[in-house]
This record gives sequence, C-alpha cells and structure tokens, in this order.
Amino acid sequence: MKNIIIGQYLPGTSFLYKMDPRSKIIALMILMISTFILKDVTHILIMLGVVLLILKIGGIPIVRIARGLKPIMILLLFTFTFQIIFIKTGNLIFDTELTLTVFTLPLMIFIILFWYLTRRYIKFKFLYLLITAFGILTMLSLYTPGSVLSSSTLEVYGDGLSGAFFIMVRLIIIVTLSTILTLTTKPTDLNLGLEKILKPLSIIRINAEEIAMIISIALRYIPTLLDEANKIMLAQASRGVDFTEGKFKDKVMQIISLLVPMFIISFKRSDDLANAMEARSFVPGKRRTRLHTLSWHNLDTTVIVFCIFIFISAITVRVMF
Amino acid sequence: MAIKFEQVNFEYPSFDGTNFSALKDINLEIAEKGEFITLIGETGSGKSTLVQHMNALIRPTTGSVTIYGIKIEKDTKKKGKVKLNPLRQRVGLVFQFPEYQLFEETVLKDIIFGPKNFGVKESVAIERAKQVIKHVGLDEEYLKRSPFNLSGGEKKRVSIAGILAMEPDILVLDEPTSGLDPKGRDDLLKLFMGIHNDLNKTVIIITHDMNTVYKYASRVLVMNEGHLVYDGLPQELFSKENIKSWNLDIPDIITITRQLEDKLDVNFDSQPHTIQELFELVKEVI
Ligand SMILES: Nc1ncnc2c1ncn2[C@@H]1O[C@H](COP(=O)(O)OP(=O)(O)O)[C@@H](O)[C@H]1O
Ligand SMILES: [Mg+2]
Repeated sequence: MKNIIIGQYLPGTSFLYKMDPRSKIIALMILMISTFILKDVTHILIMLGVVLLILKIGGIPIVRIARGLKPIMILLLFTFTFQIIFIKTGNLIFDTELTLTVFTLPLMIFIILFWYLTRRYIKFKFLYLLITAFGILTMLSLYTPGSVLSSSTLEVYGDGLSGAFFIMVRLIIIVTLSTILTLTTKPTDLNLGLEKILKPLSIIRINAEEIAMIISIALRYIPTLLDEANKIMLAQASRGVDFTEGKFKDKVMQIISLLVPMFIISFKRSDDLANAMEARSFVPGKRRTRLHTLSWHNLDTTVIVFCIFIFISAITVRVMF
Repeated sequence: MAIKFEQVNFEYPSFDGTNFSALKDINLEIAEKGEFITLIGETGSGKSTLVQHMNALIRPTTGSVTIYGIKIEKDTKKKGKVKLNPLRQRVGLVFQFPEYQLFEETVLKDIIFGPKNFGVKESVAIERAKQVIKHVGLDEEYLKRSPFNLSGGEKKRVSIAGILAMEPDILVLDEPTSGLDPKGRDDLLKLFMGIHNDLNKTVIIITHDMNTVYKYASRVLVMNEGHLVYDGLPQELFSKENIKSWNLDIPDIITITRQLEDKLDVNFDSQPHTIQELFELVKEVI
C-alpha cells in the first residue's frame, strides 16, 4: 500500500499539529457544546468567525474544509428548505402564488428530466441543482397560462429564513471542527488520545484500551477493505457485472456478488490478524508500554483555557440576551 | 490486431495526492489467434495492471488501448455509448486470487454466473459448466459443492472454469499456477496449451515460473518497474545480459545445459527444451 492514511490527515506544522491529541479532542468537545448552546444568528456568526480564525492561524486551506462539507450539502439543502417552508412566525418577508397549470406541469417535468440527463456533464453539480430548482420556482410563480391544476402559496417568514440560516451555519461549524481534528491528527495519535480520555471509564469496568484498540484496528482496515472491494468489483466486472447499469433484479445480484466475497475476505483478514497478534503474545487487558507517549504542553493548557473562555461566553450570551 | 496498446501510461491515484505510476509508455500488440504469451517480471512490476487494461477494466491515464476495434481512453466511459461489457466476454481475465470472485452457494452457480451475465441461456450455461469443470481437472461432483469449502487449488480451478465457461476469444490468466502442486500446475498448463492448440486462441499467462516460460511460450513479455522491457522469443531472452537486473531466474534446463557444457567442455548445437532433448544431445557427444 502506498502510504494511504485514512481520515484525511494533512501533514503540516502549525500549532494544531503541536497540540496533544487529548487536548484537541477536549477542545473540540467544548467548542461543539458551545456551538449548541448559542441560539442567536449574530452569536453563531461570531462563532463561525472564531472557527475561521482557527483555520487561518492553523494554516488549513479552506478548500479542504469545503471538500469535507460536500457530502452534507444535500442535508444542508434539505434542512434549509424545511425550515423555510414550515416556520411561519415572524414578519412575512416574501410571498408568492405557485400555480401548476396544464401547460407548466409538462414544462416542469421536462426541465427536471433535462436536469437529470444533463447533470453528469456539468462541473458544478450542486449549483446546477440550485439553479434548476430556482428556475422551476420562478416559472411556477410568474408564468400561468392555461387552466389551473393546483396552486399553493409560498410564504417566507423572517423566523424561517433566520432559522434556516442558523441551522446551516451550526452544521457547517460542527463539520468544520471535526474536519480540523481529523486533518491535523494522525489516526494513531487520535486513538491514543481517545484511549487516555476514556481511561476513567475503567472505574465502571469498561476497558478503554480495548475500545481504543478496536477503533484503531477498524480505522486501519478501512483503506485495506476499500482496496479489496475495488478488486472484487474488477473481478466481477470481468465476469460481465456492469456496476453502472442493470435492472433492479440485476442490481441485487451485483451487490451480492460484491458483498459475499467482501465478508469472506474480511473474516479471513481478521482471523489472520488475530493469529498474528497471538503469535506475538498479545494478551488482551495486559499492561502495555508505548513507544510514543503523549505529553501535555503549555500550548495545550492555553488552548483549553481559550475554549473554556468561549464556553463561558456562550453561556453568558445565552443567559443575558 | 485484437489488442493494441499505444503509449499507455497508468497512474494509481493515492489519497495524499501523489499518484503512483504503475505503467510507463507501454506499446504492445496482441494477435487474436495463435499466440501463447507469458508475462513475467518481479512482484510490483505492473503485470496485473497491464492485463487489467486488456479487457477495459481500467483505462489508461494517457495513451490508448484498442480492443477489437474499440478505442479505450481515459474518458471513454464518461462519454457513454461505448459498451465495455462485450469486450469482457471476448477477452476473459482470470484474477490472481479466486477469493475475489467466488460468491455463489454452489460451484455450478458460480461457473454459470459469467455466461448468464453475457446473455447465455441458463441451460446452455449449465452444459458448459459440466464441460469446463472437467477441463480444469475436477469431476462433476464438484458442481454441487460450496465454493468456500474447497482447497486453495480447487478454488483456483473453479475460478478458471468460471471464465472458460464464458468462451472468451482471448484468455488472460493472472498467475494461474501459483499455489498449485507441480502436477496440478502441469495439468493446467496442458489445458491452456490445449485451448491454444485446438481452438487456436491466444492465451496470455502471468507467471513466475521460468520453466513454464521456456517450455510453453511462443512469446514472452517482461515487465520491470512499469516498463515493458522485453517483447520477443523466450530463447533470446534467456541469453540476454540484462536478465539479472530484471530479477528473473534462468530456466532449470538452461542452467543444467550450461553446466554440462562446462563440465564436458563441449558446445551443443542447439539449446534443448526438455530433459529428453538434452539427453539426446549428451548421447551424441559421448
Ligand atoms: N489499487 C492500487 N492502488 C495503488 N497502487 C497500486 C494498486 N494496485 C497496484 N498498485 C501498485 O502498482 C504497482 C504494480 O502493481 P501490480 O500491477 O499489481 O504488479 P504485479 O502484478 O506485477 O505484482 C505496484 O507497485 C503496486 O503497489
Ligand atoms: Mg499481480
């Protein structure tokens, strides 16, 4: 394997890399909780500012964060739409009659079909979706020839708009924060940090070390298994499985032809790994020494203090305003 | 020409952005009929990557591969229209590890999976399965068994049977004989030789066994660090100087012949291919 590192660790030298993983995890927690405490658009924007500042000082390219946000784009759009449609308090900002007529219904279907067929050739797919959706809305509100099939009003209220915006920013902050953690911490460090933080759980007979071991093995095997999945797909494609097309019945068969070897190989891998660990005298729960130990520096204390400051400010503004 | 590589480069993408170049400027032509080709080279030299281009499983990063008149380039699939599946029936590729493809409950179902995907009727496919299972050296009893309870060698044979049942025009095998006992290996090689001789189909085999190369191949391709460094007759390959730098072995028969020549202080007229031939030569000089 050519040094595949899961998560998306991005080598660097800024303060984020010098921090102890423990303090990074704790700081992340504090900041996330603070974000959830805030209830006001202005305050959450300030929080966003703080996060952007961390990115700037930490030397993390915004592009990488944007890439991390991509998978949740649909979720963002969904919550945004729901908020706007269903919250009907505050002052009315905008309303319009949406009418579906015998003429605009086929036109709408045509536009959606056109979008569906052409979207794979468009580079900015998300933007294209937005423009299409907006186009349809505009058409429905302005263009009303022919007999009316159905009509409804689209009303946008102040609270709906600010609520939608608020939730969107909050989601972005949460995702950005966790992306910062995975971008700047090696999986092994993350694992070690997690293990140390979970250590107190041993009082209630939960073995933190084992949990951490399980997590680290799982992380370690994600790229391997992806690689295996890819090979299986190629092997099945050689036998005429076209993963890009096929009817529903074929699809089921295709997925089975991928999953069964996947399971068999994973079981075999874990068996091999267990044997290899045993051969090297691994005994679960035994005391173990580490090659790398974690060390807490002034930097870590400073960052934690800073985060606690933000946390207290968040509580204060929540209570005061 | 059935398959033609033109200035093919291939890079495996990697997560950290630095791509790994696995094939470098490959130019190659393979005839539809009558070739028995062995592909050799040390582990990681790009052999598997090369053969996966031959049925359009992966597409070159730059350059093109033309398979039965269909030109495969980097963005072939995106343009749509081009049907790659028929190519995979015509160029049958057996993967190195059978675990990657066996998934059905019975060996029979697994063997007919390929043909059925290419639109062969089930009854016809079952007939084929009964044929090919014997060809790969297992008896019909095996058709009822689960592919997962077989030994490594048996799995391998079943996976080969699964491709043979597709009746490809060109047969490509990625290390088909690794992990087999000597008898099993020879039997399979005889099978491939039979397919080559009787049906006059082109067969391409990846192998690490130089004796196989020397005994069977009509043409040998050598990969080294992503480059195709040799394409020609096996006889000439093993008399080349570079052979050590490509980390290749010399076939046993050549080693023995050379030592005998040394010991007996003679020069044989021809290079023997089998022990029998060597024996005849030795008889002549003594
Ligand atoms: N899926 C992959 N991702 C990244 N690199 C790969 C992948 N598959 C193979 N490689 C690399 O490409 C090179 C050639 O691999 P391969 O064609 O499998 O070699 P061979 O079959 O000759 O052993 C190797 O160095 C290997 O590490
Ligand atoms: Mg290989």
